[in-house]
Amino acid sequence: MNELIQASNLCLQRGNRQLLSGFSFSIQAGKITVILGPNGAGKSSLLLALAGLIPADGELLLNGVAITGYKRHELARDVAWQGELPPTEFGLTVKQRLLLAHGEDDCDMPPAALAMEIEDLLNRPLAELSSGERQRVELAALMLREAPVWLLDEPTTHLDLRHQAHCLKMMKKQAASGRTIVTVLHDLQQAAAVADSVILIDGNGSAQCGPANRMLTIGRLSTLFDTPLIGQGKLLIPDYGDGA
Amino acid sequence: MTLNPAFRWVLVLTVLVCTVLLCLGIGEEWINPFAANGQDAVILWELRWPRLLIAFSVGGLLALAGAWFQVLLGNPLAEPYVLGVAGSASVGAVAGLMIYPESAVVMSIGAFAGAWLGISIVMAFSHLGSGRMLLAGVVLAAFWSALLSLLLALLPKSGLGLAFSWMMGDLSHSDLPIPLLLLSWIVALGCGLLLSRSLDALLLGERHAEALGVEVKKQRNRLLLLASAVTAIAVTAAGTIGFVGLVVPHLMRLMFGSLHRAVLPASAIGGGILLMLADSVARTIVAPSELPVGVLTAMLGVPVFLFLLLRRS
Repeated sequence: MNELIQASNLCLQRGNRQLLSGFSFSIQAGKITVILGPNGAGKSSLLLALAGLIPADGELLLNGVAITGYKRHELARDVAWQGELPPTEFGLTVKQRLLLAHGEDDCDMPPAALAMEIEDLLNRPLAELSSGERQRVELAALMLREAPVWLLDEPTTHLDLRHQAHCLKMMKKQAASGRTIVTVLHDLQQAAAVADSVILIDGNGSAQCGPANRMLTIGRLSTLFDTPLIGQGKLLIPDYGDGA
Repeated sequence: MTLNPAFRWVLVLTVLVCTVLLCLGIGEEWINPFAANGQDAVILWELRWPRLLIAFSVGGLLALAGAWFQVLLGNPLAEPYVLGVAGSASVGAVAGLMIYPESAVVMSIGAFAGAWLGISIVMAFSHLGSGRMLLAGVVLAAFWSALLSLLLALLPKSGLGLAFSWMMGDLSHSDLPIPLLLLSWIVALGCGLLLSRSLDALLLGERHAEALGVEVKKQRNRLLLLASAVTAIAVTAAGTIGFVGLVVPHLMRLMFGSLHRAVLPASAIGGGILLMLADSVARTIVAPSELPVGVLTAMLGVPVFLFLLLRRS
C-alpha cells in the first residue's frame, strides 16, 4: 500500500487542552479520508497540523519526509488546504482570489469556475457574495492548485443541496484520478458516501483510524457523539425520540 | 470603475503632470513654469521645486506605508501612525527641542530617533500576531501622548512654536536632503513591488497566505520594518501628516483593484499628488503666512475616514 501520510505518536494541544495524545495513523494515496468528531474535538487542528500550519508533537511524515523538514513553498506545492472563508475587507474580486490561489498572473480559469458554477461571479467582489457562493469560490480556488494532497475543512458548509452533491462528486472524481483527500465532515451520510477510511476523534485525547465500513457503525458513532443513532444501511440519523 | 488599465495609468500620470505644473505656478504670485525669468526663476527653482519634491516624496512614502500597514494588520482603517510611531517621533522631536530649543536639525534627529524607539518597542510584540500588535500600538500611542504632554509642559517657550508647527505637519522645516527623500521613495517602491505577491496573499489572511507558501512571519517582519522605516523618514521630514496614508491606498484600490503590483506604484504617485496639492493650498490660502499642511490633510481625511467607516459597517 502507498502510504502518503504517516503519523506516529502524534500529540496536539490547544491551550491547556490535549486534543490528541499519542495518535498513530496512515493515509493512503488516492483515497478519501474523512475526519469525524464532536465540536472542539480537534478535527480542524489535525488538518492544520497535516498542512504544517500549526505545530504538533510526534512524527508526521509526508512522502516519508517530516512535514517540519519541508520549506513553506515546497509544502504549498504538495498540500492544498481549504479552511475558513478569507476576509473580504480589501475588495478582492472572485477572479483575483482565484489568481492568488494559482500563483500566476493568468490561468486557465473556466474549468474550475464552471465546475463550481461561478463563471458569472468572476468580476464581482467577494464581499458581495453569499457564504455559499464564497465557499464555491474557495473550492474553485482549490481546484486551481496542482497539489497532490487536498485538506478540506468542512467543504460542504454553506452549500445548498445541489452544490453539496457537486462538491462530493468532485472529491470522488479527484480521488479517482489519484489525488489524496483528507476532509472534515459533519454529515454522516456524506461521510459514508465518500469515505475510503475514517478518523474518529473523541475530544478527550484519543482517536481511531480505520476503513470506512469498520468505523461508520451505529455503535461507534453513537458513542463518539454521545447521541443515540438509528439507521438502515448507510443512512444514519440521530434518534430524535419521536418514534420516526 | 470599468476603465481600461492602461487608460487608468494615463489618467494618473496626466493628473501628476498637471498637479506639478499647477503647484509650481500657484503661490503668493502666479508664475508661468514655462516662462519664468529673473526673480520668478529663482522662486521657481529654489523655493517651489524643492518644496514640491519634498511634498511628492513624503506623500508617496506615507501612502506606501499606509498600504502596507493596512494589509499587515488586516485592517483597511490602519494608517502609518497606527502603531504609535507619530507619538514616539513627536516625543523625540520635543526632547530634541528641550536640548536646543530653536534647532530644527536637532528636532529632526530627535524625531528620527523617537520614531525608531517606538518601532522597536512595537516590533517586540510582532510575534503575537497582528491583532495584539495593533492593541500594543494603540496603548503605546496613549503612553507617548501622555509623555508628549509632559514634555510640552516643560519645554521652554522659545521651542513651542517649532514643536507645534512640526506636530501639525509642516514641509517648510524639512532638513532631510531632497535626493535622500527621492531615493527613499524609489527604494521603498522597489522593495514593495518585490514583496507584492506576499502582500497579495496576505489579503486572504495569514493562514491562507501561509498555506499558499508565504513565509508569513518572515515576510511580515520585513514589511513591518520597511513600513516603519518609511514612516520614520516621512515623519522626520515633515512632522505628523495624517490621513494621506489612510485615504490614498483606498482610492487606488477603487481605481486599480486590490493587487499590489498596481496599488503600490499608484499609491506612491497618488500620495505625492495629494500632498503636493494640500501643501500648495497650505502655503497660499493665508499667504504670506502658511498653514501646517497636516491641518489640511486632516480636514480632507476625517470625512473620508468616517465615510469608509460607515461603508464598512
